[in-house]
Amino acid sequence: MSRACQTIGAVMMAGCLLVSVQGCNKSVEGTSGSKTTEQAVVKAPVTLPGEERVSDDIVVAKAEPEAARQRTEEMRQEAAATAGTGLQDVFFGYDSWTIIDSGKQALGADAQWLKANGGKALTIEGHCDERGTQAYNLVLGERRAKAVRSYLTDMGIDAKRLAVASYGKDRPFCRDHNEDCYQQNRRGHLVLRVK
Amino acid sequence: MTPRMTRRSKIIAGAVLGLAGAGMLGSILESGAADVYLEAARPDFQKVPIGILGFQDGSLPSRPGKEAATVLAVDLRRSQVFAVADASKLGIALNGPNAPEKQKLKQAVGSGVKVLVWGTIGTRDPDYLLDRFVYDGGSDEIGASKRYVGSAALLRQITHRLADELVARYTGEPGIARTRIAYVSEQKGARELFIMDYDGHAPRQLTSDGFLNLTPQWSPDRKFLVFTSYQSRTRQNIEIVDLSTGKRSPLVSLAGLNITPAMSPDGTKLAFATSQDGNSEIYTMEMQTKALQRLTVHSAGDLSPSWAPTGKEIAFTSDRGGGPQIYLMSADGSNVRRLTFDGDYNAAPAWSPRGNWVAYVCRSEQRQYKICLISPDGQKRAQLTSGQSIDDSPSWSPDGRHIVFSSTSGGKTQLYMINSDGKEMEPLTSSGSHNSMPAWSSAEIQTVDAQPTEKK
Repeated sequence: MSRACQTIGAVMMAGCLLVSVQGCNKSVEGTSGSKTTEQAVVKAPVTLPGEERVSDDIVVAKAEPEAARQRTEEMRQEAAATAGTGLQDVFFGYDSWTIIDSGKQALGADAQWLKANGGKALTIEGHCDERGTQAYNLVLGERRAKAVRSYLTDMGIDAKRLAVASYGKDRPFCRDHNEDCYQQNRRGHLVLRVK
Repeated sequence: MTPRMTRRSKIIAGAVLGLAGAGMLGSILESGAADVYLEAARPDFQKVPIGILGFQDGSLPSRPGKEAATVLAVDLRRSQVFAVADASKLGIALNGPNAPEKQKLKQAVGSGVKVLVWGTIGTRDPDYLLDRFVYDGGSDEIGASKRYVGSAALLRQITHRLADELVARYTGEPGIARTRIAYVSEQKGARELFIMDYDGHAPRQLTSDGFLNLTPQWSPDRKFLVFTSYQSRTRQNIEIVDLSTGKRSPLVSLAGLNITPAMSPDGTKLAFATSQDGNSEIYTMEMQTKALQRLTVHSAGDLSPSWAPTGKEIAFTSDRGGGPQIYLMSADGSNVRRLTFDGDYNAAPAWSPRGNWVAYVCRSEQRQYKICLISPDGQKRAQLTSGQSIDDSPSWSPDGRHIVFSSTSGGKTQLYMINSDGKEMEPLTSSGSHNSMPAWSSAEIQTVDAQPTEKK
């Protein structure tokens, strides 16, 4: 055994023995397969010279239920508030972020609503269908959201009232694998902000 | 094949790398083990025939011996280093803790098996003790036994450790049986991060945010994950989570989309894509100083940086030519050149740990999204997967012999493993509605106990 290895081993062993002195006094059962009596008291694990301990090196992070609950509640409120506005979503062609005629009609109505409700602000979500990679669809979704924002600012809406977000293909409206469903997911989704 | 590095120098290399927070890649490339790999990758490479005689557990109620033998056989088969013989045809029955008769071992070798492994599993509350024995037909010796200890809940991990030891012994490389795969899983409509063992066992939930966590990647020392976390509808950060404590901290909080983080092989830099300049551009950030450097300057979208194992070059996705294609550049952003020219959709590059391939998502002539490979000089190209499905997010095992990716081939998006030659695709996840964006960890930093016992 090399000197370097011996040193490291000695340090590790000392650490083990320090934390488990009591355990080390316990006689070692053979590994001959003899049945060991189950002990009710959990013993501290022992690692003896010559043994290699296999441990789990990942501690699972703690959940954040309160943050999750708040965000879920906020999104529920936003969905409810948006439902009452009559705001219309915009739909896109495959791999495209061009606003087509139906989108222009929808955004014309949305612009009217925004002018009539001067104190309100929106989040424009860009969404994509399931084709293509998740990462590239995040970029595509952002382009769609920004295309919607540009169209609205060109119609005189203050950009400060229009936040953009991209969810790529990771928050789909529809989960089937067909064109009707894909069309539903290639979307600029307008959401009323509640705070 | 005799391992070139001495045992001592490997131990020191491992310790130094561990202190520096760097991964195994450097040591693999410098140790000459890459030569071993090239040999293993050749079609005529002879796998080492090995027989697993079993693990005597004295009929412990949980029957750990049977499970250990099963896990070891699968690990050794997946390693692509060993051909696992049918133990029942070897005619050697274990009898208590005693070694099988040498004569019987010799007979087994005569029938074509080169290595025989067996062991005993006992308990020392609260642990299992696994003693392993190896008979090598080349040296005609039963080498020194070795004892692994670990909590009874870690039987699979203990067995994985033995598999890695055997791989290291016959290749001089660390095995992958104790590597892990981070991924994104749908939970209650949200995307949360999980980590599982390399074989799909023991999935563990890492975040519980109720929203979107995406694009996880490992630090080279496998102690951290970097990922994109949506803080609100419109704000998301690139965060880092310490896997030993669970502590999360923001790394990048620029305005706009901050996605696809990737730590450099030496752990000193983070490459990522941000849209703070209006469209998605690739930046690097010094981990120590947080100093930013912009690498791409283009009105098109640039994203998904993947480091070459040397740390000197970066592959990335860009749609500057129209549709998305794979490009390469130097780590300072200079010398940009297009790598892929086949098809009109190529994205999500992953540079192999050996440096000799870039895996990526290609769109086939049938307009399906498949996993492809291309050599960094663009000369060699291969399509690994086929069929009707959307395959995505390839990530390499640290030994360069496997790729994990997501696929909709079973209906829902699930994770699969495939050999880098396109063979032996196997599912890793099957439950839940969506599992995606897998990231394979580096190999465990360990003393590589290579022994020159093999004779040809």
